[in-house]
Amino acid sequence: MNILQKSRAKSPWILHYDAGACNGCDIEILACLTPVYDIERFGMVNVGNPKHADVLLVTGTCNKRSARVLKNLYDQMPDPKVVVAVGACALSGGIFHECYNVLQGVDGTVPVDVYVPGCAARPEAIMEGVMMALEKMNQR
Amino acid sequence: MSNFIYYVPLSIILVALILAPLVFAFVISIVRSDYLCSLIIIVIAAVLAISSLILFARVTITHQIIHYAPGLIDWNLLVTIADFGLMAMFIRMGVRRKSVLILVFAVIQTIILAWVEFGPKHTEMAYPPIFIDWLSIVMTLIVSIVGSIVAIYSLPYMREHERHQNLTVSKQPQFFRTLLLFLGAMNGMVLSGNLLWIYFFWEITTLCSFCLISHDETEESLRYATRALWMNMVGGVGFITGIALIQLKNLPMDASRLLQLVHTGNEAHLVALLMLPMACLCFAGFTKAAQMPFQSWLLGAMVAPTPVSALLHSSTMVKAGVYLIIRFAPIFRHTGLSEMVAIVGAFSFITGAMLAIGQSNAKKVLAYSTISNLGLIIACAGLNTPLALAAAVMLIIFHAVSKGLLFMATGVVDQSIHSKDIEDMQGLWASMPLTSLIMVIGILSMLLPPFGVLIAKLAAIESSIQNPLVMAMLVIGSTLTVVFWTKWMGRMLATNPRADGRKRESLPALYAGTLAVLASGAVILSLFVKPILENLVLPAVANYYNVAGMEMTPTVLSAPWLMIFLVIALSVLAPTFFNHLRSSQIKPAYLCGEQIASHSTTAQFLTVADSAAEMTVRGYYFEKVTDESVHVKWVTIVATLLIVILFGAVYLWK
Amino acid sequence: MEIINIFFVVVIAPVIGGLLFGLDRKLTARLQKRMGPPILQPFYDLIKLFGKGRIAANQFQLISVSVYIACTILSLILLATGQDLLVLLFVLALGHIMLILGGFSVRSPYSQIGSQREILQLMAYEPLLVFMVIGTYLKTGSFLVSNLMTGSYKPLLISLPAFLLTQIIVMAIKLHKSPFDISASHHAHQELVKGIYTEFSGAQLALIEMAHWYELILLMGFIALLWQTNLIIGGLIAFACFLAVILLDNISARLTWKWMIRFAWTFGVGISVANLTAIYILR
Repeated sequence: MNILQKSRAKSPWILHYDAGACNGCDIEILACLTPVYDIERFGMVNVGNPKHADVLLVTGTCNKRSARVLKNLYDQMPDPKVVVAVGACALSGGIFHECYNVLQGVDGTVPVDVYVPGCAARPEAIMEGVMMALEKMNQR
Repeated sequence: MSNFIYYVPLSIILVALILAPLVFAFVISIVRSDYLCSLIIIVIAAVLAISSLILFARVTITHQIIHYAPGLIDWNLLVTIADFGLMAMFIRMGVRRKSVLILVFAVIQTIILAWVEFGPKHTEMAYPPIFIDWLSIVMTLIVSIVGSIVAIYSLPYMREHERHQNLTVSKQPQFFRTLLLFLGAMNGMVLSGNLLWIYFFWEITTLCSFCLISHDETEESLRYATRALWMNMVGGVGFITGIALIQLKNLPMDASRLLQLVHTGNEAHLVALLMLPMACLCFAGFTKAAQMPFQSWLLGAMVAPTPVSALLHSSTMVKAGVYLIIRFAPIFRHTGLSEMVAIVGAFSFITGAMLAIGQSNAKKVLAYSTISNLGLIIACAGLNTPLALAAAVMLIIFHAVSKGLLFMATGVVDQSIHSKDIEDMQGLWASMPLTSLIMVIGILSMLLPPFGVLIAKLAAIESSIQNPLVMAMLVIGSTLTVVFWTKWMGRMLATNPRADGRKRESLPALYAGTLAVLASGAVILSLFVKPILENLVLPAVANYYNVAGMEMTPTVLSAPWLMIFLVIALSVLAPTFFNHLRSSQIKPAYLCGEQIASHSTTAQFLTVADSAAEMTVRGYYFEKVTDESVHVKWVTIVATLLIVILFGAVYLWK
Repeated sequence: MEIINIFFVVVIAPVIGGLLFGLDRKLTARLQKRMGPPILQPFYDLIKLFGKGRIAANQFQLISVSVYIACTILSLILLATGQDLLVLLFVLALGHIMLILGGFSVRSPYSQIGSQREILQLMAYEPLLVFMVIGTYLKTGSFLVSNLMTGSYKPLLISLPAFLLTQIIVMAIKLHKSPFDISASHHAHQELVKGIYTEFSGAQLALIEMAHWYELILLMGFIALLWQTNLIIGGLIAFACFLAVILLDNISARLTWKWMIRFAWTFGVGISVANLTAIYILR
């Protein structure tokens, strides 16, 4: 692992986008920031700006409008970038699966690297997911 | 080469600098042909520039101060007659404009002038009236070169200006007549040593500025021209009063011998007598340099066509005011008057900058910035050390170039987008890349290293150390200056990211030429600021004060300016030329992922019910904090008080 | 000697600056009962940012960042080689203004508002720096750092105590620490996203980050000048000031720009002028 890959692994900046969740997963993501989990110890920062981000965390299932925004955000992120889908809805549509307005899971809109299941996904699982995504990024 | 310079007779140079513009002014008003008019302007501009350079070379090579009495006819008599002719014209204008103020001040001036010329005291006019030293040369160079460039620039400008007015008869001959008259009068003023001659040319510039401001003859322009006239006539009253007082005390009536009084050093009682007249002359200088509380005439003057503003603000008119104060600065050195001049100047510096922050009209911002910068120059004259005076002269030079450039560029932008509002200039970087680049260079040259204005400003701060009040005002004023310039540049640069990039801009040759000459002049002069200051200005100033060397070595100059220049140039040029963005690397601005379309100045995003909304961004103007109408009131009151104290200082604070 | 100084400035200064910022993040985390990132975190961030693919909004952004970092390094070199302090300040200001223009060059609401506020931050701290430089002039009769270092003067802090306080204010404003994090913040996103830095990314952002490290060393250098007789003591004072700024950051919330200007221009300028006046009187 060279120094650039090591740095990438140790400095994932996160953009979190809620494509239409019940907010359960979002709250779990916020829980990661708290002193209990403290994701900053892994160098993770929630930047809220695609132009600075390395990892896109998507919660909730996409509908036709949020898909457009998700696509735009993804396009504005500089390479290399990874996408982590968090929670059942982001994976497959979850309980909204049969709804008339949803696009079953975010992988139809942007290429997803890691799927973190759960309803809601646990903070430990989210962190694990980001770590796996980083490994995947470095293997490319 | 130097022989050639020496063999051109002085009389011919003087004729070329003073009389030729006056004569051709009348030729232009007779010929009434656009092409001939253009030709005459370009020829005169070249003649002025060349003769001023010859004069410069001659004085620098020989290190001489030139006293010269023109021959052939009795020029003193001619000046006297023309003086009364001018007064008659002022009175006529007062009647025609139904302005009591103009009438009153014109009548007062006529009476005092008559007393000076024909009164009980004998006017001794035998001394050579032409007096050329380093200061005259600097001013002549500015008037003849920058002024000529503005004149050439106004050829295409006025043609375009009149195209929108549907005039039956072109007023261009009138305009260019006045313009040439103005340049000739300015040269005459800075090259004369006789106070009555200076006064005569001074009043011609007042008259010319009235004609130029009222050029469009709209209701508004006539009103502001009237205001400019009466305010400058207040200064004229101050000037002639100063002359009358000097005559009353049997003191010499010309600048060179007045300065001699200081140099000999044993005429202290005579110098003390000079304080009140000097206060009057400084007062005249304040009016012409539009210092608070006389700022309103210069602000009103912006209704005139842009070349007029470029001329008034950069090379003529307001510079006449500061010239007068610098001309006599050594006389009132180490007095309360000098302290007060510094405070009045510093007050205008800080308040001008403060008021500029709240303005969105480009010409108004430029006008306030002129007031502010002239305040700085006057503050330097008031600090009255060799270093401060050198800083003042450097500021005059660099301010003339940069301000002329900025006004001219604003004029070009105005003719293209039909607005002078800074908010409307948003995104100019994409639509008019050349002009906006020139404007950015102009603005940067007004406030940042390694450009000359900043170096002079640092020298000013350095020489203000002995005067804590002035120093504090200079420091805070400089900070305020940064605010409005940066905001303006930011507006012009604000473009939407677009893959197709900037388009090419083509300017008329005369616009592009004049702008390019001034912009490169600002950069090249800044590159040589150190040698200019060390080899030309500082020795001349030391001579001027009759002191052996500098009383204080400016540490500003010891900085490695060349290295600073190189590093900055490199850091600008490297990414410009060797690091091109590919179009695939250009991404739209972050609008929360809702952006849909963008052009160079407009961008849209989707909002409620998928409807498109325009994204607008605007500059801050801090309306509540910098409200002009509120501040102008107290500024006027304080400034008036300061001027009253200035006259008090003559008696109370020696 | 000069070469060594310049080498130190260009190579060692950012390393120390980066470590200090790492310490800042660690301390802040500990104050919030978190574990916090490793001390080397800023270096990981920097290297990662340099390795990102390039995206930008326009060519001018590249120019602005390049001038910003060049001017910041240049002003630190001017300090290390004992040049004119006043010139140094305005070279620093040039860099800062170019960064602001870079923020302005993108028509994005966040970066535009951030840049407008950044002008106000510049306006708030600039007079405080100039007054301090003038204070050193009054004590030593020269703007030259070399003159200050070689002359036999008592430590400046004794006669210029107010400037220690104003330098803490300057440092807090310049580093965007609470309560002065008005145009952008170090912490997670706020209402302006990342304010003036929003539209910079990848290597440009890395260069800006590096310029901040140089800036921190420069500001600490200014404070160290207050104890010019022994730069180790001066450095310790500067480090104490840095810790004070971190503490201030953690115990205060962001305030408005109006408050910042009022505070800097009344309290800051007030004590500066008072100190200068005292020197004039006591001379």
